[in-house]
Amino acid sequence: MQTERLFDRIDSIQLKGITKKYGEGFAVKDLDLEVIGGELLILIGPSGSGKTTTLRMINRMIEQDEGSVTINGIDTKNVDPVRLRRNIGYVIQNIGLFPHMTIGENIGLVPKLEGWNKKEIEERVKTLLEFVSLPPDMFMNRYPKQLSGGQQQRVGLARAMAMDPPLFLMDEPFGALDPILRKQLQKEFLKIKNEINRTIVFVTHDIEEALVLGDRIAIMDQGELVQVGPPEELIFNPANELVADIVDNQRKFKHMDTLKVKDLMSPFEDKYVLQAKTEACDAVDEMTKRDLETAFVFDEDALLGQVEIVDLMKCRHREEKLSELAKPIKTFQPMDSVAFALSEMKNSGEYLAIVMNSKHPVGILVSDEVLLKLI
Amino acid sequence: MLSIQAIANVWERNLMTMRTIEHLHMFSIALLLSIIIGVSVGIFIYMKPKTANPVLNFLNIVETIPDLALIVLLLPILKLGAGPTIAACVLYSILPIARNTYTGLKNVDEQYTYVAQAIGLSPREALLKVRIPMSLPLIAGGIRIALVFCMGVVTLGGLVAAGGLGTVLQNGIQLYQKDAILVAGLWTGLLAVLLDGFAGLIEKKLHERYGTW
Amino acid sequence: MVVLETVINATWEHIVLVYTTLFVSIIVSIPLAFGAVYSKKLEFVIMKFANLVQAVPSFAVVAIMVPFLGIGFTPAVVAIMLRALLPIIKNTYIGLSNIDPALIDYAEGVGLSQWQIHRYIRLPNAYPAMFAGIKFAGILANSIAVLTAFIGSGGLGEIIFQGLIGYNTSTLLAGAIPAIMLAILIDTTFTILEKKVTPGHSSE
Repeated sequence: MQTERLFDRIDSIQLKGITKKYGEGFAVKDLDLEVIGGELLILIGPSGSGKTTTLRMINRMIEQDEGSVTINGIDTKNVDPVRLRRNIGYVIQNIGLFPHMTIGENIGLVPKLEGWNKKEIEERVKTLLEFVSLPPDMFMNRYPKQLSGGQQQRVGLARAMAMDPPLFLMDEPFGALDPILRKQLQKEFLKIKNEINRTIVFVTHDIEEALVLGDRIAIMDQGELVQVGPPEELIFNPANELVADIVDNQRKFKHMDTLKVKDLMSPFEDKYVLQAKTEACDAVDEMTKRDLETAFVFDEDALLGQVEIVDLMKCRHREEKLSELAKPIKTFQPMDSVAFALSEMKNSGEYLAIVMNSKHPVGILVSDEVLLKLI
Repeated sequence: MLSIQAIANVWERNLMTMRTIEHLHMFSIALLLSIIIGVSVGIFIYMKPKTANPVLNFLNIVETIPDLALIVLLLPILKLGAGPTIAACVLYSILPIARNTYTGLKNVDEQYTYVAQAIGLSPREALLKVRIPMSLPLIAGGIRIALVFCMGVVTLGGLVAAGGLGTVLQNGIQLYQKDAILVAGLWTGLLAVLLDGFAGLIEKKLHERYGTW
Repeated sequence: MVVLETVINATWEHIVLVYTTLFVSIIVSIPLAFGAVYSKKLEFVIMKFANLVQAVPSFAVVAIMVPFLGIGFTPAVVAIMLRALLPIIKNTYIGLSNIDPALIDYAEGVGLSQWQIHRYIRLPNAYPAMFAGIKFAGILANSIAVLTAFIGSGGLGEIIFQGLIGYNTSTLLAGAIPAIMLAILIDTTFTILEKKVTPGHSSE
């Protein structure tokens, strides 16, 4: 089915008096919320707060019982849901790539249904895969099960971008990934977000993620909107206890002086280790198999540095060894103070460090994870 | 027991090349019709769920009818020849194919149908691009059962002047020619087992290709 | 035209043929199914053979009896058994092996002997699957018994073959309709039995 484009850019999305009943109770109750064109609005709140329901009412996956959703002044009730959804990119936690289609077919599905020709689709798929740092030649013809979790999530993002929608809905897109992977994808996502400059509504339960990514944050509780505003407003002027609880950064740093690196590091695992003589191509396959975005390079027992799969894939066709590609990484001792480690990492803009006990790696320090553990 | 020469003689005398071609010809027509009708019925009862139980129950009853009795019931309507045999094959084969198609379509993992809807596939597109492809392994399983049914029924065709390898068996028994019975019986069995094995391979491939992991 | 008495006699012969075969098949199947629970080798052979024989057309199985056993009641019983045994063994085996190991552990724990475990735990647990297999075998037997008339077993098939020789529609129907009714009878009785032995009376 071919559908006409609804809008090229988002000026504003208005949710007015939205109510969704759920049995006797309310999933969402009399909600008023505006999404401003071009912003990334975070919906956050405890489970059952109605954040996902709210998100799904925007593309009519759930129909509200009362109230209206208007996009650029057009009431979504008056738009064919299929047409509406093709103008909105959608990314979810479990990704849902179709297992019977290749990566290329997954991304090109909606363009194909829109009647694009083969060449147009192929070009679009290639552009999008490049965009999410997956070399097209390597990935286009693979099946989803041949990809790691992080790679699948990138494809999920590429699929959402297929029709170049002006609006994205994202439902905990990084929720199922391990902390290191999540941090990496968030970092890349920020880059993408700034490049494409689209309107995004993003559901999460991770306040760190919200603070890092959100232009504005809407806090929901029991189906109602508690407060909405930029991160600093929520931090300095919380509307109530709940908001203060969710965003309060003060307590995090309370025990920082006494804590040691060893208290907050993640245990080091052998799966993170790659040998210096490994070639980049083999390393990519190996990292895919182990579901790693980042690995640490060792020459026998000596730490050389770190490699990221994104960088390795760029040099896929050269026979480079990891010893030439490894980037330096900070190391700390288990007994270093956390405050010291964090400030060091912050200064160099790194989010990852290795903890060495004399010559042996014993742990990994992930800056955001440290902060979360402190809450 | 039987020398190659003797087998060749039996083969020649009973026109078994021609009979094999007849056999496979009837079989292919029957299976093709069964697939078309079976899959259509499966999709129909999936789209109109209220019809699913009555239709499947009716087909279940058809399934219990002795195959030869079914052919005989169709004789007065379709006359002697390949007609009643092919029709009986199809009647038997609708159930496994329709049932598997229906089960397959219904049981596609919800996360995929949800995503299909969310990225803007119409119900029809979701059926064609997601539900049907993802049901292919199960549909193939149903077709494989149908294949075995059809082989069995087509062999009976010899008894009602439909031709095929059943004719050789029938003559062999009536004239009490042990060699003809052996050669034709083993050949018919082998043919069926080979085709079934081949279908099994396809089914396995489809599972690898379309199965969820 | 066929006389009513002929039909009744043929129906009786048919019933005897079907139930004799079914009965013998059950007697032979159950020990084999228990054997398969204990011996992986036997299980492998049975399952492979079951899948293989299921693909062979019934008429071919019936015909192949003739060179070895001649014609009459016995080759008919053997031919039907070859097809009917396997669904019973296969289903009984599946029923016997699909049992929660914790249940067996518990039974051993409270001091049941191996025999008692089989009799009071494994076997009842296998009933639903077993009866499904017997029902399937019964329908199959009824169907092949029509065919075996061609090798002299008697039964309703004989009337059908008479009808075919002279192409007499009413004779054909006089053979076919009772055979169909018997099939439906087998189906219903075993469905009821199956439900009776299934805990909670749920089918499947």
